[in-house]
Amino acid sequence: MALLEVADLGVRYGPIIGTDGISFALDDGEILALVGSNGAGKSSTLKAILGMAPYPAGAISFAGAALRGCKPSEIVRHGIGYAPEGRRVFSAMSVSENLRVGGFARSAHDNAARIRRLYDYFPRLAERAGQRAGSLSGGEQQMLAIARALMPRPRLLLLDEPSLGLAPIIVERIGEILREIQVAEGLAVILAEQNANWALSLAGRAVILELGKVAATGAAADLLRRPEIRRAYLGA
Amino acid sequence: MASVIGAAARSTRPRISALHGLVAGAALLLALWPLVFGNKFLLALATLVALYAIGAASLHLIIRTGHVSFAHAGFMGVAGYVAVLSQMRLGLPFAAALPLGCLAAATVALAIGPLILRVTGKYFVLVTFLFGEILRLVFTEWTAVTGGSNGIFDVPPPAPVFATPLGFYYLALGAAVLCVGIVARILGSEIGRTIDALREAERLAECSGVPVIRWKVAVFVVACALAGVQGVLQAHYLRLIDPTTFSIVESLNLVVMNVIGGMQRLAGALIGALFLTALPELLRGYVEMQRVFFGIILIIVMAALPGGIIEIGARLRALGKAR
Repeated sequence: MALLEVADLGVRYGPIIGTDGISFALDDGEILALVGSNGAGKSSTLKAILGMAPYPAGAISFAGAALRGCKPSEIVRHGIGYAPEGRRVFSAMSVSENLRVGGFARSAHDNAARIRRLYDYFPRLAERAGQRAGSLSGGEQQMLAIARALMPRPRLLLLDEPSLGLAPIIVERIGEILREIQVAEGLAVILAEQNANWALSLAGRAVILELGKVAATGAAADLLRRPEIRRAYLGA
Repeated sequence: MASVIGAAARSTRPRISALHGLVAGAALLLALWPLVFGNKFLLALATLVALYAIGAASLHLIIRTGHVSFAHAGFMGVAGYVAVLSQMRLGLPFAAALPLGCLAAATVALAIGPLILRVTGKYFVLVTFLFGEILRLVFTEWTAVTGGSNGIFDVPPPAPVFATPLGFYYLALGAAVLCVGIVARILGSEIGRTIDALREAERLAECSGVPVIRWKVAVFVVACALAGVQGVLQAHYLRLIDPTTFSIVESLNLVVMNVIGGMQRLAGALIGALFLTALPELLRGYVEMQRVFFGIILIIVMAALPGGIIEIGARLRALGKAR
């Protein structure tokens, strides 16, 4: 059984269509790229999974349980981590305080051990542990947002545009770290990205969205080779 | 302004011992207050400050979640009436009536909290304003139970030992230290970090795994129960309980204490309680001009210190660093 199953998902914001019948599945430990231009439905899909966007049509199940009707905080406790678009952090709080909010409802002892582990993955955050999150660089804030989402040891991590506005070298670094965590913890990742080159190089499989529908799906390596996809999404 | 406050918060953190010294000094001064100033007026003033410190600090707890409640005095009233009635009609001892009153305020908060804490900002202000007014109307109109506008007279002292102004001062001081201590303990713990997180970004906190509504309700309930302590003690102190002491004006007073002291820190609420309780009393000498002076002072303070009186400390530190 797949870890996450999205079936015929139809997200609606009032009369506005977010997604129009998207289906895909994801296994444990798999990185899936969700690629498409602005308004293709990438964020809407992630928000629906986390219970933040209403979907009158379709179903989402995680580890065999339907997620419809659950609050975001409940879904996080089910084992889905989420780093929203725009590298959102609690800017008035320190780096370690941000992480402890992510470890909400876990013991202080658990959190301390988890924070040490995450500092191994993200050494830059260890250097900035006591600093106000608002004073970090863009790349560091993105790392903090990802690390905060990883605090409760999720099985699935949802990343919304993690590369947005970051220098290419930082984007590469974040990709390496994600791979390292995927291998070490068996973490599954859904990477919603406009930077298709990077996302497809990181992912095993990809779903390409267009105007709320699935335009193409398959192994990332295959999609990278298809000429019409290279033309439309990779600028080649 | 936010960055000034942030900087102040950071720079004070390592100097916990200095803060502890300050708290210990203040506690000593308060404990010895009646011995140093034998005068009745100053004793009454100190008692009122202690009582208002409870209300202001408990409201501060709600404010820290990002909600400014204008129903706080209403919750005090619920506790006050329940405690006084259970003591005078049911013959319960004070030691049972006080927690019962607080429990009643907490129950009302628990019933209304999940509904009203979904709205934020000015809408929360409006909703609590209305709810506070509804509570006041209940106190006024339910004449058979509450005595209506006349209230209930001859509320007995909590115990014979607290019947004297001096005895009551120490009761109020003890209650204030306990209640403010509870608020400080909550804000200093991991729960405090959660409160800060949901004030800064509610949705981000929710999708980081914090059950936002549940926590806001929990904080609201605790804060209203603590406010109840002031409501009960105040009734015993005045020997009277009537609707005017729990009106919107009183709620507004508590909000102004927090604003003028500084909304970001618990100490701000305490400074505000001291300032707003002591200042009008000290201006009593100029009866006709009292309110005018009071208003002018408020305007000057808010214009010069938009972050509240507590900002003076941050300014002084910044000055010291600049030298």
